[in-house]
Amino acid sequence: MKTGVLIVTACAVPLVLMGQGTGSVTGAVNDTAGLAIRQARVRALTSGPGARLVASTQTTDAGMYRLDSLPAGRVIIGVAVIGFFPAVDTIEVAAGETLRHDFRLRLSPVTLMPTIVTAAKRSQLLDQAITSVALVSREAISARAINTVDEAVDKAPGVQFINGQVNIRGSSGFVEGLGSRVLLLVDGVPANQGDRGGINWDLVPVDQVQRVEVVKGAGSALYGSSAFGGVVNLITRELPTGAHARLRATAGVLADPPQPVWGFRDYTGIQDGVDVSASYGQGVVRGGLAAGARHSDGYREQDKADHWQVSGRGEWRPEPAMLVNLSGAWASDQYQVPEPWCQSGQCTDSGQALQPFRIDTVNRGNSTRSDKGYVTALVTRTPSARVAWSARIGWLRTHFTDQYPGRRPPFAPADFSVANRYGGEARLVTRRDTGQIVTVGLEATQSDVTSNVFSGDTTGGGGRHMQDEYAAYAEAEQVMGPVRATLGARGDFLTIDGGGVTAFVSPRGGLVWPTRTGSWRASVGRAYRAPSLAERFVTTYALGFRVIPNPALRAEDGWSAEVGRSWTPLSWLRGDAAVFWTEARHLVEPSITPSLLIQFQNLQRARLAGLDLNVTAMSFAPHLSTTLAYQYLSAHELAHDTVPERPLLYRPRHLLTLSADYTWHRIGVGADWRYSSRFERQDPLFPGDPRLEGRILDLRASWTAGPLEAHLKVANALNYIYNLAPRVLEPVRTTTLTLTYTY
Amino acid sequence: MLRTWCGPLCLLSVGVSLACDEGLKPQTVCPPSFQGICGTVTFRGALPESTDVVYLVAYATFPQSQTDLFTFQPVPPPTLSLDSAARANEQAYALPLPNGTYHWVLAAWKKQGALSQQNADSLLREAGYYRNPADTTQAGTVVVNGTATGVDFVVDFTNMHPVSYYFP
Repeated sequence: MKTGVLIVTACAVPLVLMGQGTGSVTGAVNDTAGLAIRQARVRALTSGPGARLVASTQTTDAGMYRLDSLPAGRVIIGVAVIGFFPAVDTIEVAAGETLRHDFRLRLSPVTLMPTIVTAAKRSQLLDQAITSVALVSREAISARAINTVDEAVDKAPGVQFINGQVNIRGSSGFVEGLGSRVLLLVDGVPANQGDRGGINWDLVPVDQVQRVEVVKGAGSALYGSSAFGGVVNLITRELPTGAHARLRATAGVLADPPQPVWGFRDYTGIQDGVDVSASYGQGVVRGGLAAGARHSDGYREQDKADHWQVSGRGEWRPEPAMLVNLSGAWASDQYQVPEPWCQSGQCTDSGQALQPFRIDTVNRGNSTRSDKGYVTALVTRTPSARVAWSARIGWLRTHFTDQYPGRRPPFAPADFSVANRYGGEARLVTRRDTGQIVTVGLEATQSDVTSNVFSGDTTGGGGRHMQDEYAAYAEAEQVMGPVRATLGARGDFLTIDGGGVTAFVSPRGGLVWPTRTGSWRASVGRAYRAPSLAERFVTTYALGFRVIPNPALRAEDGWSAEVGRSWTPLSWLRGDAAVFWTEARHLVEPSITPSLLIQFQNLQRARLAGLDLNVTAMSFAPHLSTTLAYQYLSAHELAHDTVPERPLLYRPRHLLTLSADYTWHRIGVGADWRYSSRFERQDPLFPGDPRLEGRILDLRASWTAGPLEAHLKVANALNYIYNLAPRVLEPVRTTTLTLTYTY
Repeated sequence: MLRTWCGPLCLLSVGVSLACDEGLKPQTVCPPSFQGICGTVTFRGALPESTDVVYLVAYATFPQSQTDLFTFQPVPPPTLSLDSAARANEQAYALPLPNGTYHWVLAAWKKQGALSQQNADSLLREAGYYRNPADTTQAGTVVVNGTATGVDFVVDFTNMHPVSYYFP
């Protein structure tokens, strides 16, 4: 496929004259992000043997069109523009009236470069981004028959999950979900927890996700704290016109332990779930609701889990250039806690050094209830092709209770935390004919937590803490000949419990230089992350040791740079490679003090550098596509005082994913194989524990017949038994059948 | 050429990798590759109601002061299973340690509560230790050079000693 070659398909659909007189049709043509599409061709044609074109026009800079003198009766309108699927709708035109009819066009797969919205906080082509971006499409999510969003992101190039904690280029490591260095966005709205700073991946039903954008490298210059290592943006499905519904049912079987000596139950574990969604759209209003539930017996002892969720979204377009969007979701999880696994002597060990499927006696009966939800209101307006603005407000609430029936005084038998995160943002994007695009914005966030475990009270009492963040940002892109240059900065101002203000400035600059076979990109920017309230004020009891707070914890910061190249050297081969480098200071990691207390402390300096490579090859054989994604990572804490240079914990040096998909008519089969090298540094808390490579093979098959889809997935097909997080077994072989019916 | 060979090479690399299955395997408490001390513990007496946990620890040199008590290895120390079934019979243990000589290998009983250096005397008890086979009134010395086996001793809940017993 050659660069720049796109095919425009015009619509030629008939119209039937049903009455006398004429009417008009007007409306807007937008992309799925709500941005106006200008110069789209809009045509109206008659039907029947005498089909003829009766009106034709192009959309304005604001994406508006108007067709006059249409014959009254049934008319079919077609819209076509380069890079998008053409759209066709049938409408009834009344004599003497003007009917409103909007179009929302989906990106076409023949587009060489997809449009992204996360890397620059505005719509742009993928090859215009100054940083690396990985995309997970709706089709890839469907093909993998997954149940949660983290499964969708897990196989993205350069991304690895360690017991639910996401790593982009080794950013986060593993800290029991605390202090993520990756920012989660839901349709552009931040959704990290207010207390732990971590991510609830089950907040958004996977069935509602249209695509995922993973921006790699520091994103602090636009997104501030938490975007230290990257940004994951979940783009939810668009709401179509008309009435639509979808039913998704899944059922699966969990493999038994491959070794009889590890057996822990006398029945086969299962998992099942159902999701339903419905939407309706007409004229200027659209809305949708979704609900679902899941159950799993788990693959370990004390591992049952139940999940419920509801979500909803509404859109109102009071004028063609304006969109008001309301969305919300609520999810509840109740699950047993199967961690850590049993070491010799800590359960009925059958003479084994470890029983990875069994829970140790001390932690028997532990469970968690976790409720979370959010509501968001977003207004976007594009008065012209040169100006667009948006404003949003949102509220995210999380509430968890951990039950520890085996705990003894003075520690409470339960930990709880109720956290709120309120946020708002206003953004303006201007485009000039000179090729300059400027994005400016203001953002404010307030987080509060009421908890006995994040209270900072070492006597075990409850407490409340609050964190306020205010930010202003600006970024400009200028076209200079063939080169696009970007320069910007963000200032963040942070207060804890109303105390003094701490300020951070995060500048970023970058270049994109297109070539005949692809493009070069380079960027450098500052990264920073404020410690979460949990990292500052955690006070609990773990592994027999006291965990104490550290209110004096300071923010992490660093500089991140990358040089990347995307290329299409052959018609069947497409690649992207990037060399990245991050110099970090004050990384927050758990440490053991000389008096045997666990505390979050700032490391001196760390360096994360490596190579990120992604190659997609089409047509080794007809209908076959293959992908290779490889990441080389060197992650080290640099020498200081008496501490020698040493690897950072929980970062694999090599991460390789090979994927292949073959489609033939209604049938598709595919496989993913993921390899991660063993962590180079032993966990200081568990020096004798095994460190293992990850070697996971996932197989899948699908069958489609009209509105019905069936997906079969065998995750970890070889039932490879291993762990990444300390004393936490990774999932065993799971065979899942998913049926989807779309109306 | 590239197109011809990429597919087979990818499949070959997957096949080779899959053939090298090195996931978790069953492992006895004290496998041949283990580095540290292995043995059994026999329980005597009723488990005190205020029991939190019983640690197994080793000291390269016998502690000379209360401060030295926190120089034990390994960190964190393994614990013994204390349910009634596990206490009814000998319990095998394995203490991962670097090669070297250890002059005190013991079971440390811990009372419920948060442990610190300040309250060690009220929360910790020596519940039993490996004894010199030639003179059972003395602690036995264990030399670790790979795996040291046969380091068996008794945990006696009826005869435990606080820190102040050793460091008045």
